Amino acid sequence: MEKSCLRYIAETIKNKWFIRPAFRQFCVIYTFSLPILSSKTQKCFSTSTGFYNKEDESATSTDSSGEKASENQEKATPGNAKKNLLNIISEMKVELSSKKTFQILKTLKTKEQTKDQPESMESASSMFQKATADSKAKRSKPLNPELVEAVSAVASSLPFDRKQTVSDLLAQLRKHEEATDAQKKGETTNIRSQRIADMKIGKRRLTRGVSRPSSQISFDDDDGKVTCFKLVSGVSFFSYLESSPSLWDLELANQIAAVNQKPPRNGFEEMIQWTKEGKLWEFPINNEAGIEDDVEFHEHIFLDKYLEDFPKQGPIRHFMELVTCGLSKNPYLSVKQKAEHIEWFRDYFQEKEELLKEIDDHEKETDISLEKKSLSK
Amino acid sequence: MAGRWLRHGRWQQVSLLSGRSSLRLFGAGKGEGSRHCSGSASLQKTEADPGVTEEEIVVPRKKTWDKLAVLQTLASTVNRDPTAAHYMFQDDPYLIPRNSYEYRLFSLSKESGKNAARYIVNEFPRFFEKDIAEPHIPCLMPENLAPQIEEVSEAALKERIQLRRVKASVDMFDQLLQSGTPLSLETSNRLLDLLCFYGDREPAREDQSEQKEELEESEEAAPDQRKRRGRSWKTSDFIGPKWRENNNAERIFNLMPERNAHSYCTMIRGMVKHGACVRAHDMYTDLLNDRHTADVYTFSALILAVPEVKENYIERWELVEDLLKHMVQQKVQPNLLTFNAVLKTLRKCGGMGKGISLKILREMKALNIEPSLATFEHLLGIFYKSGSMEIIYEVMDEIEGKTFVAQDPDDANFFVSAMRICHSLKDVELAYRLHKVLETGDNWKLIGDAQQQSLYCARFFTLVCMMEQLDVILKWYKELVPSLFYPNAQVMWDLLQALDTANHLEMVPQFWKDIKQLGLSNRPELLEEVLALMAREIHSQETQMSFANCAADIKSIFETRERNQVPLGWTASALGNIAILFSRVGRIQEACNMLELFKRTSRVPSDKVMNEVLTCAKQSNTPHQAVELVKLAAAFSLPTTAKLARRVIEEFELSEEQKKTLEDADPQSSDSSDSDSD
Repeated sequence: MEKSCLRYIAETIKNKWFIRPAFRQFCVIYTFSLPILSSKTQKCFSTSTGFYNKEDESATSTDSSGEKASENQEKATPGNAKKNLLNIISEMKVELSSKKTFQILKTLKTKEQTKDQPESMESASSMFQKATADSKAKRSKPLNPELVEAVSAVASSLPFDRKQTVSDLLAQLRKHEEATDAQKKGETTNIRSQRIADMKIGKRRLTRGVSRPSSQISFDDDDGKVTCFKLVSGVSFFSYLESSPSLWDLELANQIAAVNQKPPRNGFEEMIQWTKEGKLWEFPINNEAGIEDDVEFHEHIFLDKYLEDFPKQGPIRHFMELVTCGLSKNPYLSVKQKAEHIEWFRDYFQEKEELLKEIDDHEKETDISLEKKSLSK
Repeated sequence: MAGRWLRHGRWQQVSLLSGRSSLRLFGAGKGEGSRHCSGSASLQKTEADPGVTEEEIVVPRKKTWDKLAVLQTLASTVNRDPTAAHYMFQDDPYLIPRNSYEYRLFSLSKESGKNAARYIVNEFPRFFEKDIAEPHIPCLMPENLAPQIEEVSEAALKERIQLRRVKASVDMFDQLLQSGTPLSLETSNRLLDLLCFYGDREPAREDQSEQKEELEESEEAAPDQRKRRGRSWKTSDFIGPKWRENNNAERIFNLMPERNAHSYCTMIRGMVKHGACVRAHDMYTDLLNDRHTADVYTFSALILAVPEVKENYIERWELVEDLLKHMVQQKVQPNLLTFNAVLKTLRKCGGMGKGISLKILREMKALNIEPSLATFEHLLGIFYKSGSMEIIYEVMDEIEGKTFVAQDPDDANFFVSAMRICHSLKDVELAYRLHKVLETGDNWKLIGDAQQQSLYCARFFTLVCMMEQLDVILKWYKELVPSLFYPNAQVMWDLLQALDTANHLEMVPQFWKDIKQLGLSNRPELLEEVLALMAREIHSQETQMSFANCAADIKSIFETRERNQVPLGWTASALGNIAILFSRVGRIQEACNMLELFKRTSRVPSDKVMNEVLTCAKQSNTPHQAVELVKLAAAFSLPTTAKLARRVIEEFELSEEQKKTLEDADPQSSDSSDSDSD
């Protein structure tokens, strides 16, 4: 039964006319849901439509025809089916235009001969609704319903437990959204702790910065360490000294730095001091200051390099490209977070690799059958 | 379309660019349906087609600038304005200091204002949560000063150590001990570091300590400089809390199940820092018995402690030598601080320091350790004590044209000591050379705190006053005052002497103004000197006029002081000089008032004063005043009363009544004149 189910899924995935609108919608919502500056939304549209010029008609019809489709489905397919399959079908009802649903249902009938589907289908669809309701209730801030829909569309393209997929993906997206929000608005609790951490680092950096001009200190330290290393290597305290400077070292450095520290003699020197303390914009003025330390903007934008581990084509690739597209427009996440975000998806899809391989096989089959069909038409 | 792109932000633009490039790749694909395909799908297709994908987008690297480069360049274009006070006072014209007292007051006020603000921010962090700055500015946010971890654990102890809470750390340690939790060696050592560094006392918080230190410093900086230096020579720079026996550091050290070299070293350094030098050396013996080796800083500390351990000069040096030999045995490479410590100790070894210190210098050279200013300072100190100051010429040859950076906390003492030797040698050329070194590169930073800077400048200027022509002196005066220092009474005195030597006493009133502004007008010796110089010779009328104004000024100062009940007693010479100065410009009434003051303060005027005033009375032809003068002289029963009376009778046209009063006032004089005539 499962095999047949998978075959069916493969078929649906292969049918790009069916899948694409869902993805497209997802892409739009995804990018919208991210906190991009409002002026940029237009651009999102333009890029996404650039990808999908021709599918607009089908996309517009999906939502309105969803319910009708489900009714039709219920009528059309009687009998019991396993949960997986049901999930997929119930999902299908949301996304398919009525016409295509019929078409697919027909092929389904002919291929699988499943007689006892409708009953279970009904229950499954209600289950799905429950599940989404649950997940919604759990969230403090509900995700955009459109987004949820799009995610479920993506999930449906995958042959796993659909609910699980949906909730996984949604969870990840939600996390993403939370992170973005937090970094955008500055979540009090997070920031507080972060601030403390920052401050410690900042302070240490400051003392180091102060002590640096006196190059001799570092020379002294080196000197001590080198000799220690050369001559006293193996003595336990050395490794301890290495690990971090002791209070004595810090204070000695401070003391020597204090000798060198003079009140500024003119406005520019005062500005130098402020720059060292981090109170002033650094010259030359850099509008990327404070966004991320040692990351250049192109690393934010060109995220394709993270997609190497993904399949070169297919819906997953497509999905991931939309994810990177959305991420590249998000200025509130760090490059590391973006990479982690993509990594999560990679791990997620890798877990399901075996199933995906099977899908590939089916794809080929259905490819042929579709070609045949189109030829026959 | 292009216009629209331009209007969008950087992010958008670049992502659009990326989108465009992928679109172009679509176009390069085979065509059929590729526009509907995902980018990667078409990309794969084109990959199969060699040559098309060769074109690679090379993102240009961002140029990185040093964040200070621009500002440093700009700062280097600004020179010191010798007529202005220090930059830190230029916020508010009202708060520009005019003398050293105000300088200290205002700079301390500014500093304590900052500290107060920081204190409030740290004390009430909840009012300063809002972080409006972007990018975030950590140094403006409240610091976390309260420990966050409440439970009893090693992490909590570490946190308290990190926050430098001495008492809380000790408490936590005791609690951990009671609960039987074993502590890692590293944490115990960290705790020992903390305890030893602060001598088992709670450290002053950063936002409070600085101010305190400076206040102490300013108190110390009171005129008696010699005393201060003497003290810092005597003890090994030991300030602050003393090491108490069986304090927490020792207790914890004894409780530690295992100790490594670091534990010993930190104990030794703590003991030396807090004055327990003998104990430190005992601890070193323990360390050796435990077959550990000390580190280079510990050896430096031990060497510094030597003068406290041994009384005898020879014994001191022997101990230092022993320690150095131990370093060789333990294969510890000495550094600059070690050698500076040796030299510092040699300063307390009397005459034998001279020879050894040169050996030490050679040793440094052999080890390729560049001496710092502190090295030279110790060297000068050693030789200064034994009376051979000529070494400064060699030192000067060595340091000329070089720039130094601080490597030793003692580096800041060099310029002051070197200038002192220049002063002792009365070698102004050497002083110029030294000043040139100070102006080389960033060496000015090593002049030390404001106190040392003003001491340096005062010595330098005094030397210049002593040795140079007046125009050179005045050039330096303009150069140094008030931008670098505010002269004290001694410096102004020297300047007045220089004016006298150069025979330019007419400039005295001008410097009197400076004296007043510098807040030195309450120094009686300076006032006396100013008056004496002005009254000594007769100058041109114009000069005399300005002298008289100056005298009136000084007189008013005496009087206001009296009203403020700050005792600034009139002296006979001061009163006399003012009277002379008044009478020379014909201000007879004021001169007579001065004579009245003599009477009131029961001082006795000199003959010169009486004669001058009388001359003045004659010039202004006021017989009345003349008679009064004689009466006054009679009241003081001056020996010259008779002469004065005779002069009055001879030179003035007196009424009968006045003549009579004259004779009444001084019957003796008539007697004596009678006897004289006889």
